[in-house]
Amino acid sequence: MDMIGGAATAWEGGLVGLESDVAQLRRGDLDALTALVTRYQNRLYRYLLRLVRQPADAEDLFQQTWVRVAERIGKYDPQRNFDAWLFSVARNLAIDHLRRVRPESLDEPVAGEIEGETKVARLASHDQLALDGILERERAGRIGTLLGELPVSYREVLTLRFEEEMKLEEIAEVLDMPISTVKTQLRRSLLRMRQMIETRYPNEDWNAFA
Amino acid sequence: MKEHGKLREQLSLAAAGVLAPDDEQRVLQHAASCAECAAELEEWRLLAGSLRRLPTPQPRGEVVERAIARAAMRLNEEIEQRAHRRLMISLVAFAWIVTLASWPVFRWVSGDVLVWIDPRFNHMWMCFAVVTVFLWATGGLAAVLLAQRRQSERRLA
Repeated sequence: MDMIGGAATAWEGGLVGLESDVAQLRRGDLDALTALVTRYQNRLYRYLLRLVRQPADAEDLFQQTWVRVAERIGKYDPQRNFDAWLFSVARNLAIDHLRRVRPESLDEPVAGEIEGETKVARLASHDQLALDGILERERAGRIGTLLGELPVSYREVLTLRFEEEMKLEEIAEVLDMPISTVKTQLRRSLLRMRQMIETRYPNEDWNAFA
Repeated sequence: MKEHGKLREQLSLAAAGVLAPDDEQRVLQHAASCAECAAELEEWRLLAGSLRRLPTPQPRGEVVERAIARAAMRLNEEIEQRAHRRLMISLVAFAWIVTLASWPVFRWVSGDVLVWIDPRFNHMWMCFAVVTVFLWATGGLAAVLLAQRRQSERRLA
């Protein structure tokens, strides 16, 4: 019970810290800017990488997003959810980028690399739990590759729900669409993902993806 | 049977954890009594779990530092522009107050003092008012157009 209470307090503390950082950023505090970039760096980069798939593009968009945040923070309504606002800023930039760079084939799969694989994940295969590490990487690699092959509208709804753990309302705010449409999109994305798994790995036990 | 099909469609959303509590309860109750749906729900759960556990890629340190530096520079520019805008608005407001306040003074001077020199001065304050309104409106419009142009140039840059 104490642990739950402690976690809840820490979570609330995090929220208060976020609100205070955002309020300070609105006043032009550079320390608050650093705190916010640090807080969101992994989540924002991951989201951008899922959308554009190329690390170099994601890095560029990551920087552009924070420049845009600096420009628009004065107009940000503190009543809004900051996560949703930040991700919608990033999304608009990423969609513009995709339209500009690859308008003819926005959703062509990128062959080869295992999307999202970090050096840490790669190093893990060399330790004592090498086999577990390899299996885990392989599963993540399969799912990551399949995710990368989905259309961008499916990729983004899946990453917002499962990786960012956003609620439907927040996803709807980021994507600027009704909640019912988000639900439909989520269901279709999962269905497509499932169909891809069944087509690509027809004899595989589902537990292999767990 | 119809209910089975309807609930089956919601299995993926139940595994994604986005159903309303009542709907989720209905789906879970159905899955508890339907082996086919229970198996499918389990598969959706495995897929959802594997999506949740995807490795998190991290941006390079120098990219984060560059992002902070670029955003900080933009933030400073934005603060400066905001201060300029505030100053400009205050100056324009002050100028208008002075102009409006000058009309009755001018009216008094032209109607009560200058009229002694020439009766035609009686309506001179109206000309003064029209000229000042015209000048200020033109100046204001020019300032707005210039600001819009600068803003679009900044956006393109």
